[in-house]
Amino acid sequence: MNEKRHMGLRTLNRISNTTIYILLIIISIIWLLPFIFIVLQSFRVESTYQVGYVIPHEWGWQNYINLWNSDFKRWYLNTFIIALAAAVFITIIQLCMSYTLSRFRFKLRGPLMRFMLILGMFPGMLTMIILYRVLSDLGLTQANAVPGLILVSVASSGMGYYVSKGFFDTIPKSLDEAARVDGATRFQVLYKIILPLAKPIVIYTILTAFMGPWGDFVFARYVAFGTSSGYNVAVGMYSWLTNDQIARMYTTFCAGGVIVAVPVTILFLCLQKYYVEGVTGGAVKG
Amino acid sequence: MASVKLTGVKKIYDNKVVAVHDFDLDIHDKEFVVFVGPSGCGKSTTLRMIAGLEDISEGTVEIDGEVVNDLQPKDRGIAMVFQNYALYPHMSVYDNIAFSLRLKKVPEDVVYEKVTNAAEVLGITDYLMRKPRALSGGQRQRVAIGRAMVRDSKVFLMDEPLSNLDAKLRNQMRAEIILLRQKLDTTFIYVTHDQTEAMTLGDRIVIMKDGFIMQVGTPTEVFEMPHNLFVAEFIGAPKMNIVKTNLLLENGKYYVTPFGAKIPVEGEKGRMLAEKNVQPQEILLGVRPEHIVLSEGGEHAIPCSLVVNEMMGSELHLHVDTADGSRLIVRIPTIDLDSAGRSELVAGHDLHITFEGKAMHFFDPGTEKNLLV
Repeated sequence: MNEKRHMGLRTLNRISNTTIYILLIIISIIWLLPFIFIVLQSFRVESTYQVGYVIPHEWGWQNYINLWNSDFKRWYLNTFIIALAAAVFITIIQLCMSYTLSRFRFKLRGPLMRFMLILGMFPGMLTMIILYRVLSDLGLTQANAVPGLILVSVASSGMGYYVSKGFFDTIPKSLDEAARVDGATRFQVLYKIILPLAKPIVIYTILTAFMGPWGDFVFARYVAFGTSSGYNVAVGMYSWLTNDQIARMYTTFCAGGVIVAVPVTILFLCLQKYYVEGVTGGAVKG
Repeated sequence: MASVKLTGVKKIYDNKVVAVHDFDLDIHDKEFVVFVGPSGCGKSTTLRMIAGLEDISEGTVEIDGEVVNDLQPKDRGIAMVFQNYALYPHMSVYDNIAFSLRLKKVPEDVVYEKVTNAAEVLGITDYLMRKPRALSGGQRQRVAIGRAMVRDSKVFLMDEPLSNLDAKLRNQMRAEIILLRQKLDTTFIYVTHDQTEAMTLGDRIVIMKDGFIMQVGTPTEVFEMPHNLFVAEFIGAPKMNIVKTNLLLENGKYYVTPFGAKIPVEGEKGRMLAEKNVQPQEILLGVRPEHIVLSEGGEHAIPCSLVVNEMMGSELHLHVDTADGSRLIVRIPTIDLDSAGRSELVAGHDLHITFEGKAMHFFDPGTEKNLLV
């Protein structure tokens, strides 16, 4: 009787697992299709315009060579500089902020955290016009968009403290205290004890900080308006999609899309283990 | 090696809660002092103020004659062992112990020598390359002690270091701490909520309650002459029986009259009552379970009925109810009873007990203070 029930449960389990896997495979294929499509288009050399088929008739590197000969290099470099600088500064600021809020008790700490939480709920778009004015007054628009965009990305980064603070909260305070008795300064406690233990969250912070500016379009377009040398890849490539350009640049645009995705994909594949740990870390670490 | 002096030390939290009130204590060089008390009595807070991990709201802490109120923990010449070990999980045992030395930029060969020496003393040489998570509780605690040892500090602070261990390991580590103390020959301040640890380890015990010091004394002093009811009940296991009764004075001799019996106060206690000229009055009488004996009956005897008999091996703990429903605990060495006597002692059995007159404690019902202090 018992064995029969056991068998029944096992079959049920197998059926539900199979269903879930089939569903996931279908979703993955749907999700992957645009990527495969773009990769295939980027190798199509028989025409530069949109066509009614997916597999190229003629394959070649011409679109990538076109990219190399265009402004794309500049845009790519701009984006890379912005994303890298943002990743470095945001990570430093955000981790210091999180450590402070997790470990120090000071007056108005609670209200400050709540204030930042509420402030963070307003869409960033609301600040666009005034930020543009400020950047414009500082001379950080158009050709100088790169430092301007770095400034904008980094400026409010301390407000994104929640995830890493949550993670730091799970690291026992007695470790800090033991290290302080052992002779460590607060800074040494942070980088010798806390950060090595919070590796997943550090990597999570770096990745998210890098990804933001890497894929930024709206603000970058606004700040660099009309000046190609200040564009990032998203804005630059968008300029190829205008009615008069698209016929010439469509496949080059697809090649650009592939190149943009490459570093992020590599970064993600290398660090995905930590990324998942980081996202779930605060919740499950005892 | 150093003395530690606390003068009027107070801890007031932001929400105005006072955790420690006017704490005055002089800890001598090489002394082993134990702070003991129930949860929330302020013992750990006091230790953490000495360590520099909590701000001192009022008063001063001196280590070796120097006021250390505003010094960082690292500059106070202290080492500390934490209740949860606080080992750095990402470092090996070796690196854990070497951490403080490396921060001081001690040459690596000296670090090696010190770490291996400490490991040898603590018997953890085989685990030096392991990570803390691969160690048992007892081994982790040893690493924590090793980490404190290599600092060559003046004062050794221990915050409930044995609380996370199981009973057997706790006894073993307690003995090891005594040996360690002999080897290190330095000043120890030890916090625990376990009165057995306090009694066995301390040269002096500081018993605390609600942020106040209740009594400071040697283990013998606090056991034999508790200054108040709290100390009397806190020290000793099972705890002291407290009975509300009257103290009588007849023909120059003191008597107590618990549960209708009339028991003379004998020996030194009787003499001390006379010396203090204590007047007949209502009192709280304290009698330790080991100072209650089974009796045959008579004027001294209190009739009662057995509720629970706990067999502890070398002794029996009898929980008995008197006629008015008061519960007393009696501790009888097993060796004092023959097998017939032992088999009689089942729940519901009626028996007579009496108190030993020379081992009683007398407390004022109002102030709860010992009448002989």
